[in-house]
Amino acid sequence: MSIIAPKFRLGYFIKSLLDNVFWIIILLTLVGIPTIQVALFFIDLPVIDGDLLTPFLALTWLADPSRTLPIVKTLMQTDFFKIAVFPGFGFAALLAAGTIFVERKLLAKLQLRVGPFYCGKIEGLLQLMGDGLKLISKEIIIPAKADKPIFWIAPLLFVGTAAAFISLIPVSPGWVIADLDVGLLAFFVIIGFFPIITVLSSWSANSKFPFIGGIRALHQMVSFEIPLILSLLGIVILTGSLNLSEIVESQYNYPWIIFMPIGAIVFFIAMLAELERIPFDLPEAESEIVAGWLTEFSGMMYGLVQLGSYLKLYAFAALFVVLFLGGWNGPMVIPPFPQEIITDGIELGPISVTVPGLPLFTPEMLNGTFWFTIKTVGVIFFILMPRGVFPRIRIDLLLHIGWYKLIGLAFVNIFISLSLLYAGVLGPGGMI
Amino acid sequence: MLAALVGEIVSNYSNVLMMFGFAITATAPALLLSKMISPKKRNNPVKFLPMECGQVPKGEGRTHFMMQYYAYVLMFVVFDVMAIFLYSWGSTILNLERTATLPIIIFLGIMFAAMAFALYQSKRRNIW
Repeated sequence: MSIIAPKFRLGYFIKSLLDNVFWIIILLTLVGIPTIQVALFFIDLPVIDGDLLTPFLALTWLADPSRTLPIVKTLMQTDFFKIAVFPGFGFAALLAAGTIFVERKLLAKLQLRVGPFYCGKIEGLLQLMGDGLKLISKEIIIPAKADKPIFWIAPLLFVGTAAAFISLIPVSPGWVIADLDVGLLAFFVIIGFFPIITVLSSWSANSKFPFIGGIRALHQMVSFEIPLILSLLGIVILTGSLNLSEIVESQYNYPWIIFMPIGAIVFFIAMLAELERIPFDLPEAESEIVAGWLTEFSGMMYGLVQLGSYLKLYAFAALFVVLFLGGWNGPMVIPPFPQEIITDGIELGPISVTVPGLPLFTPEMLNGTFWFTIKTVGVIFFILMPRGVFPRIRIDLLLHIGWYKLIGLAFVNIFISLSLLYAGVLGPGGMI
Repeated sequence: MLAALVGEIVSNYSNVLMMFGFAITATAPALLLSKMISPKKRNNPVKFLPMECGQVPKGEGRTHFMMQYYAYVLMFVVFDVMAIFLYSWGSTILNLERTATLPIIIFLGIMFAAMAFALYQSKRRNIW
């Protein structure tokens, strides 16, 4: 029983919102505007281009697109915009939210169910928002004997580490948050933190089911990290670079999946294991050990862990696209920006406005983002599909697959790329 | 000169840390908000026991446990380092002589033999 639910009516909710708006307007007119006017008596306003910069003039400039667009363009080049909005957190969170909705509907259709249906009138579109509200209004219960500081901070660390992973992904030419020379090694470093966080949170919960789940997560990530690392060595051999942007540029003609399908398959399987998705969801096997290492998380803490795991899913899918499917490369589909708008301005009936700095995004950037998003969504779809089809794998079989088969296949992939290099097919001075 | 170079490299890495910090500062308010609006009823000590499917929990949460697959963890320590060593070879292979590949193949052969032996030993449960 929550505080919001029992007497909740949409009418009351709207009324409370309107009340707040009413009081804000009253207070602004009676207190805010006189305060500003009194303050303006004592401030010397600057003179710009021969005009006194009154608040009226400042507001006029804000509404003038020829003055705001350059500001917007400058803002978009800052690190904060990149981190918060476009290749960073906002973009990833949007795709992650879409993934959750699509996953639930897709699984429902696979199993002849309906899935989320009532919330939001059309096919349950607002189900995610409803779930978020539910999680945020639930009480957070922490076991009495738990190690509280670590237990509190574990979900935050999980989200933060997933976000740090996202910062390595090049989405479009030049649109990457951290363009590291050793981007691939940084990726290995970051995925090395996930088992640590899992084991820390499960140990701090001081409960049996999280403990078993944490130990399972440790074994699983330990046995699949080596195939994951080795399956990417072929790409590094053929590109001679660890920078992710350079790896994307090297696939201008052919994506690497054509030459290294075995490496792609090994990477995909290891990726499923690192993401703890079916058939490798042993750490949170809900039919055996309640919810594995998530058992003691309640309310918004569970929600944060889920957010982190879906951000991680997006990041892994994006990394697969960057490494094997050619990243932002693709045929040009965005039409070029019309030149007469730059030279003559926009004509609206009698008036025509010339707006400097108008192509807000270059066509290359739009095209790159388009292809990157299409490919990433495709890979996410392939990550979601096994959940509706496969059963869970046994832990000794899991270790057997990781250590015997995937490592062997990864070495086969390395020798394929070596022979491609030495036979003169690829690489500098090669046939292609 | 060197300081500027180091600064440039560090500024690249600092973006990763800033992304980490941004995610934490953006999601921590959700926890705070949840603390503010969620109900708090502290009248029931059973609520704060660890979850054991409705049973009253017995014994410690953190107990001794069977490390059945400890051999794999030991192997991980060795072969993870080997995999990263291979990257330093792979990223410079385009500048190396072709004959330089031969020692790496020999190295891989030694490591593979060791791995086969370790995997064979890991099946003998009675020695662990």
